[in-house]
Amino acid sequence: MLIRLSRFGLALPRLLSNPQTRFVSQSKPSGATVSPALTELHPVSEKAGHEEVSPFVKNPDYHGFSTDPVVDEWNMRVAFFMGISVALVIGGTFLRYLPDHGMREWARREAERVILQREKEGLPVIDENYYDPNKIILPSAEDK
Amino acid sequence: MLKILIPTLLLIPTSWLAKAKWLWPTTLLHSFIITLFSLAWLKNTTETNWSTLNPYMATDPLSSPLLTLTCCLLPLMILASQNHLAQDPLVRQRIYITLLVTLQLSLIMAFAATELTMFYVMFETSLIPTLILITRWGNQMERLNAGTYFLFYTLASSLPLLITLLAFQNKTGTLSLLIIQLLGPIPISPYVNIIWWTTSLLAFLVKMPLYGVHLWLPKAHVEAPIAGSMILAAVLLKLGGYGMMRLMLILSPLAKELCYPFIILALWGVLMTSSICLGQTDLKSLIAYSSVSHMGLVAAAILIQTPWGLTGALILMIAHGLTSSALFCLANTNYERTHTRTMILTRGSQMILPLMATWWLITCLANLALPPLPNLMGELIIISALLGWSWWTIIFTGAGALITATYSLYMYLMTQRGPVPNHMISMNPSHSREHLLLTLHLLPLLLLVFKPTTIWGSAY
Repeated sequence: MLIRLSRFGLALPRLLSNPQTRFVSQSKPSGATVSPALTELHPVSEKAGHEEVSPFVKNPDYHGFSTDPVVDEWNMRVAFFMGISVALVIGGTFLRYLPDHGMREWARREAERVILQREKEGLPVIDENYYDPNKIILPSAEDK
Repeated sequence: MLKILIPTLLLIPTSWLAKAKWLWPTTLLHSFIITLFSLAWLKNTTETNWSTLNPYMATDPLSSPLLTLTCCLLPLMILASQNHLAQDPLVRQRIYITLLVTLQLSLIMAFAATELTMFYVMFETSLIPTLILITRWGNQMERLNAGTYFLFYTLASSLPLLITLLAFQNKTGTLSLLIIQLLGPIPISPYVNIIWWTTSLLAFLVKMPLYGVHLWLPKAHVEAPIAGSMILAAVLLKLGGYGMMRLMLILSPLAKELCYPFIILALWGVLMTSSICLGQTDLKSLIAYSSVSHMGLVAAAILIQTPWGLTGALILMIAHGLTSSALFCLANTNYERTHTRTMILTRGSQMILPLMATWWLITCLANLALPPLPNLMGELIIISALLGWSWWTIIFTGAGALITATYSLYMYLMTQRGPVPNHMISMNPSHSREHLLLTLHLLPLLLLVFKPTTIWGSAY
C-alpha cells in the first residue's frame, strides 16, 4: 500500500521515497537495540541491473501466483474460491451433516433420555445383569 | 471411485494441453474439484465398513481419511510449487505437475486397493515419481544421495514383502482384504512364523519410518522440493502405517511376542529423534526428525494391536500429515526468501513477516499436540493405549511428549524471535498464495476438532 503512495513522489517525506523496504522506525537506535534500522543500513538500489527484482515493483497487487497481473488475479480468485468456499465450506457442511454412522450419536441421545426417564420414575438406571439370570441355564454341578 | 480416478488421470492431459499462462490456475481448479469429490469417501454407511466397492478397490473408515488427505494435498502441492517453478521452462513445469498427478494416482490406488497385490504394486509405483521429484528438482548436490537412500531402503525392505504376499496367496488362495479379514489363523511352522512376520512388516516399518531404519527420511525430506516434502511427510509415511494395519490382520496370532522389540525400538526412536531435533541447525531436517518422532508413536500404537491403538494411530497420522506438511510449507516460505535452511541465519522473522508468524505459532503449537487439535487426540489415545499395554511405556511417551514440546517451541523461537540478522537487507512480503496455502492446512485441522469421528477409523 505504501508503495502506491510513492506515485506522489517528493510530496511525501523522505522516508517513504524508498518503497521497496518495509516501513521501519527511522529514529536513532538507542543503546539497547543491536541492529540499526534496515533502511539506513542498506539502501536498496537498482543499479546492478541483474539483481533480484521484487515482483511487487511491477505489480503492487502481486498475490504470489504469476507475474502476469491478469493471470495472478484470476489464479488468486480460483484458489481462494475453490479452496475456502468450495472445499472447506461446502465440504465442511457435507461432513457435518453426514449420517450417524453406527448409530453412535443416537445411542448417546437415547442413553441420556432413558436415564432421565428412569430417574424420574425412580427405577434403577440400568439393570445389574447384562443378561436375564432366569434365562441362563447352568449345567448341574459335575464331578471334578 | 472412477469419479475420482478419471479426473485425476485426465489431469495429466490437462497439464500438457493447458495454455502456458493458464497452466497453474487450470490444474489448481481441476485438483480442487477432485478434492471436493473425494470428501464423499468419508461417508461410510455400510455395516461391513467397506463402501464404494468395485472388483479392485474399496474404501473403509481406515482408508477413507487417508484417501481424502491424499486428494486434499494435490491442490496444496500445486499452490506451494507455483513460485519456485515459475522460472523453469514450461515443459519442465508440465512434467512436474504430471509427476505430482502420477504420484496422486498411485497413492489413491494404493489406499483403495482391496487386493494386497495391487496395494504392493501401487506402493512401489509411488516410489518412482517421488524419486524423480527428489533427484531432479532438489536444490542441493546431496539430492542424489537422498534419492538413492530413499529408493533402496524402501525397495530392499519391500522385496521380502512381495515374497510373503506370493507365499500367502499360495497358501490361502487369496490376497483380497475382504476375505483375509475373515480367515482364521494360518497354520505355519513356528520358525517360518518369525520370518513371515518380519518380512511382511519390514517394508512398512522402513516406510513409517521405524527408528533404526529411518536414515532415508531426513535426507529425502530435506533434499526434496516443497511438493516432494509435503507429499512425503503427509502421505507416503502413512502408507507404511496403513500397510501395517492391513497386514496385521493376516499376522495376528504371531504378533504377540514378535512385536516387542519393534515397539521398544519405536518408543526409543520417539525419544532419540526428538532429542536429535533439539540439536538441528537445518530447519527442514528438524521437521523431518519431528516426523520420525511422531511416526514412532504411530508405529508403537499399531504394533500393540488394540482398538484404541489403531484409532489413535489413524488420528495421529491424519493430524500429523496436515501439521508436517504445513511446517514444510512454512520452511519453504523462508527458504524462497533467504535460500538458506539454517535456522540461525533466518531468525527474527516475526518482525519482518508478522502474519506468517501467526501461522508459525499455530503450526508449532499443533506439532506439540496442543488441545483441542486432533494431534493431541491421537497422541493421548496412543499414550493411553500404550499405558494399558505396559506401564513402563509412560516413561518413553511422557519424556517424548516433553521433548516434542521443547523442540517445537525451539523451532518457533529460533525462526520467529530473536534479532533479525544483519545480512537480511530485504525480504518480499508474504504472498496471498502463501497465506492461503497455510490456511488450507490449518483450517481442516481445526475443523477436525468438531468432527473427529471422520478420522476415528474402523476400530473404534
